Order: sequence, then structure tokens, then C-alpha cells
Amino acid sequence: MINSEKLNSILQNFVTGVSDIQGAAIVTPDGLSLSSVLGAGMDEERVAAMSAAMLSLGERIGSELARGTVDRILIEGDTGYGFLTNCGSDAVLLVLAHQSAKQGLVQLEIKRLASELKLMFK
Amino acid sequence: MVFSFAYGSVGWEFMEVMRLVVTGPVGAGKSTFIRSISEIDVVDTDRDATDETSQLKKKTTVAMDFGRVNMGEDMALHLYGTPGQSRFDFMWDVLIRKAHAYILLVPANRPGEFRNARVISNFMRQRTKAPMVIGFTHLDCPGAWTMENMAIALGYGSPLIKRPAMVEVNPTESMSVATAIMALIEHL
Repeated sequence: MINSEKLNSILQNFVTGVSDIQGAAIVTPDGLSLSSVLGAGMDEERVAAMSAAMLSLGERIGSELARGTVDRILIEGDTGYGFLTNCGSDAVLLVLAHQSAKQGLVQLEIKRLASELKLMFK
Repeated sequence: MVFSFAYGSVGWEFMEVMRLVVTGPVGAGKSTFIRSISEIDVVDTDRDATDETSQLKKKTTVAMDFGRVNMGEDMALHLYGTPGQSRFDFMWDVLIRKAHAYILLVPANRPGEFRNARVISNFMRQRTKAPMVIGFTHLDCPGAWTMENMAIALGYGSPLIKRPAMVEVNPTESMSVATAIMALIEHL
């Protein structure tokens, strides 16, 4: 049984605790939301579906173009970043960060968060 | 139709590429349709279904399917399959914009999906003028509607409304899929 309250609080702490993080979502690989902390104007259902679509395409590129197992997909826009991380076979993590975010810091925090989440989905 | 460079049998050559989109509600047979005819290993994005889709099948497409069929020396068909669930409508949008034609697959034995089929065809019509063919699948299953009744259910009952071409298709049989694709190409 997944403790959804715990999931929400982990995500909430992450978004408020790490600077320049604008939102985060945990979704199933087939694009349904498990938990999310997103800014206003962002539709949870769409975010979930997009995250799953992007990660699956990325993973496919990884295998087809001999890049191996995909750990992370980074979307770099001129106003911010989107990080997609695989959290085991049952969950995908999306993190949205402001353009001023320190990439190294964010990636380190995401790594920590992902390993914490992986334990929950075991 | 467009001309573009594509990697053919003798390396890079000038090839006519036609992009066909295969769309329709969940479980209509879109991925199977492409797998039955593609000459390359299909690029799929299947994931385990965890929503109501899982009652119907284990896996579901979350981004797209891609397959290719060569038509003679200098023409290739690129087949793009969409996800069926409306939460993936951004993929419908991405894929339909460059399509030269599209086929809407409708499962005849699941009348509950006819409404979703209409939603998809309306969505596509708002974004493209490319011709559409409707392919009815699962006609051999118990509870299948007749093509005429489905045409009415899909909103083509009135003689004043121009009907798109409608074909019967079994996505598991490559000959049947080929026939449906020919019907689609004829309407270009």
C-alpha cells in the first residue's frame, strides 16, 4: 500500500525546501498522477500524461540509439528546466525548476528524492 | 504529398514520404494495426495500464507507435499510432499536424467507445484538413454493431452529412490492414 499522505508531504517538503524548485509530480508510467505540487494554471492530468510520454520516448531513444538505460531526461527552456527521473518500475518523477536554479544542486536533490521514493514503491 | 530524403534500400535517396496517423479509442487495435504491416521493428511506447484500460488489456501506448512500409522504390509510408486515452491529447495534436491522412479505428463491440471516437475525430478535424477513413475493428466479436448502425452512432446518420469512407478492418491480419491503408491512400 502506498502511503499517499507521506508521498504528498515528501513532495511538498521538496518543493518548499529546495530553492528555485517550482513544482514536482510523481506519476505512473502510463501517465496518471500519484501526487503533485504544481503551480497554478498547470493541469495535473496533462502534466502526468506528458511526463509519462516524454520518459517513455526518451527510454526508447536510449535503447534504440544504444544509450543504455535512461536515468534522467532534462528539458532546458529559456525560462526554466524540467527534469524527468525514473523511480523504479512504478513511478516517474517530474521536477520543474526556475532558470536561475543551480543545476548541480537540483540534480543532487532530485537524486536524493528519487532514492527515497524508490523505497516507497518497492 | 511531400518529397523528402529518406534512408532507402540504396542509401540516402529522394523519397516520397507519406505520413499516416492511426488513431481511435483505447483497445481499437491501433498498435496491432501498425505491427501487422510495418516492415521495421515497430517503435512502441507501451507501459503497463493502471487505469480502467487494464480491464481490457495489460499494456497501453503512452506516446506513440511508429512503423514503416515501403511502397515500391521511391515511396515510403510512415505510420504513427496515437494513444487512445484523452489525457494524451497533446500527442494527438503533435501527430496529426503533419499527417497526410488518418484512419480512425473504432471497436465495433464496445459501443461505450463510440463517444470517444467522436471526440477524437472532432479534435482531429479542428486541426487538419487531411482526409479521414473510418476503420471498424472487432466486427467478429460478440456484441459487435453493424457498420450502418455505427455510422449513425458516429453522427453520419443524416443524408445531408457527407460520410467519410468506412472500411472493415482486422488489425491482426496484414492483408486486411493493407486493404484499409489502400482505402486511405485512395482518398488523398
